[in-house]
Amino acid sequence: MRSRLLALIALTALLPTAACSGGDGGKGGEENQNEAKPSASAGANAQLVIWTSEAASRAVTPIAQKFGQENGITVDVQVIAADLAATAITANQAGNGPDILTLPNDFLGGALQNGTIKPLSLGAADLNAYEKSAVASVSRNGQVWALPYGMENLVLYRNTKAAPDAPATVEELVSTGQAAVKKGTVKRALSLPVGQEGDAYHMHPFFTSAGGSLFAMDASGQYDTTKVGIGTPESIAAAKKIAALGEKGSKVLSRSIDGSNAIAQFTEGNAAYLISGPWALADIRKSKIPYDITPVPPFRGGQPAAPFLGVQAFWMLSNAKNPAFAEEFVTRAMNTPEAMTAMYEQDPRPPVRSDVLAAVSAKDADMGKLAAGAKNATLLPDFPFMAGVWPPLGQAYAIIVGGADPASTMTKTGKTIENAVRAK
Amino acid sequence: MIRILCLGIAVGTAAALTPGLAAGRHFVVLAVAWIVVAVLLVTYATRRALVAKYLVPGTLLLVLFTVAPVLATVQMSTTNYGDGTRSTKEQTVARIVANSVVQAPDSPTFNLSVATTSDGEFMFFLVDRATNHAYAGNEQGLKELSQEAATVTKGFVTAAPGYTFLTPAQVNEAGPRLKEFAVPTADGAIRQRGLREAFEGRTTLRYEKPADTIVDQRTQTRYTVQRQGDREYFADSTGQRLSEQSWRASVGLENYRRAFTDSRILGGFLRIFGWTVVFAAGSVLLTFAVGLALAVMLNDPRVRGQKWYRSILLLPYAIPGFISILVWSGFFNQEFGLINSLTGLHVDWLGDPFWAKAALLLLNLWLGFPYMFLVATGALQAIPGELKEAATIDGAGGFTAFRKITLPLLLVAVGPILVASFAFNFNNFNVVELLTHGGPFTPDNPDAGATDILISYTVRLAFGAGGAQFGFAAAIATLLFVITGVLAAAQFRATRSLEEVH
Amino acid sequence: MTIRWWREVGWRHVGGLVAVIFAVVPVLYVVSAAFNPLGTVVSTDVVPTQFSLVHFRSLFEDPARPFPRWLLNTVVVCAAVTVVQVFSSAMAAYAFSRFRFRGRRSGLLTLLLIQMFPQFLAVIALFTMVTELGEALPALGLNTIAGYSLVLMGSALAQVWLIKGYFDTIPRQLDEAAVVDGASQATVFFRILLPLARPILAVTGLLAFVGVIGEFLLASIFLTDTDSKTLAVGLYGIIESDRSNNLGVFAAGALMTALPVVLLFQYLQRYIVGGLTAGSVKD
Repeated sequence: MRSRLLALIALTALLPTAACSGGDGGKGGEENQNEAKPSASAGANAQLVIWTSEAASRAVTPIAQKFGQENGITVDVQVIAADLAATAITANQAGNGPDILTLPNDFLGGALQNGTIKPLSLGAADLNAYEKSAVASVSRNGQVWALPYGMENLVLYRNTKAAPDAPATVEELVSTGQAAVKKGTVKRALSLPVGQEGDAYHMHPFFTSAGGSLFAMDASGQYDTTKVGIGTPESIAAAKKIAALGEKGSKVLSRSIDGSNAIAQFTEGNAAYLISGPWALADIRKSKIPYDITPVPPFRGGQPAAPFLGVQAFWMLSNAKNPAFAEEFVTRAMNTPEAMTAMYEQDPRPPVRSDVLAAVSAKDADMGKLAAGAKNATLLPDFPFMAGVWPPLGQAYAIIVGGADPASTMTKTGKTIENAVRAK
Repeated sequence: MIRILCLGIAVGTAAALTPGLAAGRHFVVLAVAWIVVAVLLVTYATRRALVAKYLVPGTLLLVLFTVAPVLATVQMSTTNYGDGTRSTKEQTVARIVANSVVQAPDSPTFNLSVATTSDGEFMFFLVDRATNHAYAGNEQGLKELSQEAATVTKGFVTAAPGYTFLTPAQVNEAGPRLKEFAVPTADGAIRQRGLREAFEGRTTLRYEKPADTIVDQRTQTRYTVQRQGDREYFADSTGQRLSEQSWRASVGLENYRRAFTDSRILGGFLRIFGWTVVFAAGSVLLTFAVGLALAVMLNDPRVRGQKWYRSILLLPYAIPGFISILVWSGFFNQEFGLINSLTGLHVDWLGDPFWAKAALLLLNLWLGFPYMFLVATGALQAIPGELKEAATIDGAGGFTAFRKITLPLLLVAVGPILVASFAFNFNNFNVVELLTHGGPFTPDNPDAGATDILISYTVRLAFGAGGAQFGFAAAIATLLFVITGVLAAAQFRATRSLEEVH
Repeated sequence: MTIRWWREVGWRHVGGLVAVIFAVVPVLYVVSAAFNPLGTVVSTDVVPTQFSLVHFRSLFEDPARPFPRWLLNTVVVCAAVTVVQVFSSAMAAYAFSRFRFRGRRSGLLTLLLIQMFPQFLAVIALFTMVTELGEALPALGLNTIAGYSLVLMGSALAQVWLIKGYFDTIPRQLDEAAVVDGASQATVFFRILLPLARPILAVTGLLAFVGVIGEFLLASIFLTDTDSKTLAVGLYGIIESDRSNNLGVFAAGALMTALPVVLLFQYLQRYIVGGLTAGSVKD
């Protein structure tokens, strides 16, 4: 009978399991989410839960721990590797989300649509110390929805051994790079992630310089989403210029270069140039490759190359379990020059607090150069429908680099994107 | 005895949990707990229900964690649940109104201390940062404090007779109730910001329930409920939305209608269904063919080191699948990948539809052949030697004997395993998602890639282009379930003779 | 080596060696990446060129990646789910094999159908369920190994078919004789059938184990807290967060994950070969 006993004990242990209810699981979770927790847990250490990417976690953790010590609470910084935004939206809705998270400004649209975030209770006027464009990127409907801390945009990294001078045009970049390949200094001219699925973000400077645009801009400098730029004659002309750099052209662009190897190609000394953002800086410094940073150059006689400007920020969630600590952390603890400097020191990218940016740029020339790369940048759009824009646009770039016909590809992709934009 | 003891424990556990669950109003959980106990009692407390005694444990788990979610998914397929419609209408209204608090221009900011009276009422003790005047405020209003009424230290009120001051942790704990707490003023109300700060601001929006309308109190703009596209929003008379946030609603069979009428979904669906079958069948055939060939080659008494071969050939199966797949995905890189560099080829593995499919099958071969090798080895060893000898004596050559005698016996033995393997690969999301992400894609249909199988396609429809569309995805999942079921039933019929033993 | 030897035996070794190379090259690549101090995709090749334990050290020293904790979590989940799955399946298989009852055939068919439905597709419903469960009983909510294990136990009857097939081959005379001797059905099951079915229990146990250890889709949604992660979701996070630099750490973790499974496989090898098919053929 011993086995039987074990079986029944196992069953007993499973009992609470049963508790997990059936059919109407779809509804119950939400009815509870606004209820105050029973006071049974009062007096227990409150926790502050912060979700970040791995890179940001190294910067946030020490600051958060100091904050925890000062307030006598435990702080938990959790790294969410895959799909932080979607995971957070779902978890917040179920009442299981974090109190705070860090994400770039393009989180705003989807988060507002889902009621995931709550505004700062600081007005734009309270954030005079910050770059105006950064605050604007996280503002909507008269509210500021996040505390910005750092900016990121694509720049051109150059191996100064292979290419001593900054190229003024893409054409110069190609010829210098190819000359270096011929000399044997490097194995390829440029490392720009394309991959099999394409990368609309990394291709944008070339695309805009060649005359393409995502959407038209209205008089106030905002995206006019009624005018999709993909599929227009300008976009086809731009796609042809990209095709000329592709695998059937000068072979400067290749689908074999993707997110997993683009930076390593440069840090291993294989590529003369790399187009990437501030996140590449730590690796490049570690590699001891002699480098310099300049804005992404335009095509000869073309438009300025416009990368996207992304603004990293701290967001407070609407169903936070610890709203007071979350607000204290974001609007007070982080909202100081010291904390912003600490963020920069652990995760080097140009700060958006003006005084900190000035101080940091004076010490670290790279920060000024990275920020200079944003001169022509356009804000990373945050429309929820972008989820239906990025993948087809990336795929279009990938197959154009692979040798597909630019005209028909861009026309079809333009239709797909118009559908995605209009569906909302 | 033991049985009674265990049932007692079950009942006791449920009883012990009951007060807590009831107090927390978790009635569904409570009900399910007792239903499970009842099922256990009925099954194990009596001498009858012999069969049920063996079926109940697994079935309970199956019902709770597989069947119930499937049913919930079916139910979800009749709603518009997804991005923008995740919350109920009440939640949406509350969120929109709560988010409209703005700080009044040029209004003071206060240093805040939160205190409670002896009967638990909140009181805000405030120090105006600009003037250093101290105030006390509650829902009745704000009044200035005299020097003696409170102790002010470093700009904060730290003590006042008759009040208990909350620690930061307590302020945080009181969060949900404090959210509602505001000290009314002429320009709006003073609200908490973080732990130690308060500001004067006002709610600019008001919800009027009878009219089901949200009013902007500054401009008197009225936002009514309007249908735009497939969902409802609060919008003004020109159709301008107040917020992008909509709410959950039942849409009946709309999601199914969309699945059956959207030509792009349908076109993709049929093509993908075809490839899914080819992929699943191809994976089974390839792995089985290679596994069988190896088994036949090595399962010979004259071959030395069989144990070594087996140990090494097992390796691919023993490494957790997602690890192998991630490693392999790098091998297929055209320029830097291991395969092209070892073989000197220049195949565009993942960019060309044909080669991408080949790559998937190759990877699946690597992942699956060891298993089939073992299965075939086991089956071969179990076939009585006399049968093979008899065939050889009858003059059949080695291959003929194998084909006529061994293979049929073998197929009978491994039939169920092949069916199970087919079912597994039919829904093998990991290998597709981690290797090709369904690609390569064409601009004609950027949702349906060349190597997409039904499940990866479903997941993309659910979480891809339109944001999360859980309702629609649930409909597709339900259809997928029906398709898989029909297929399985067909296979079940085909292998019926194998299954029926007595 | 005579020509005859080549014709009869030698070619078999050639085929075997080709298969061995096919099986081993990717594994060598992982080994090479794990010991390569640079740890990038670009710097790694099949043949290890450098040797360093830096990635293994980082697995055990970096507090952001508590590898030992993940390992422990994984072992707990794998053990719990495997035991429950094999045991529940064996009990049900006994009923399907030895009793004739109404709904037997359709029950078996239904099981197959339900098993073919990927649990992942019901993920939103599962998420809501576990959320609710966690509010009622925090020990079983999100970010708990117990709650995650329970969800995986939804496949408790996944092995019924294989085990039933094996039971079918064990002569019924054995248990009938025992019943005549006065043994109860329970005694027959626990004392006669289960011991005889050891090979298939080992095999199905391994199948369940391998299935659970590689599960990361549900884990990545249910386990977000660093300390509650399993190896699968933890390692996936490492490679996903920085594919360029983290290949080495990932490979080191992969080796450490695979090693116990490989050893287990070697140990149970004879059962695996016998257990899967022995029954059906003897029949």
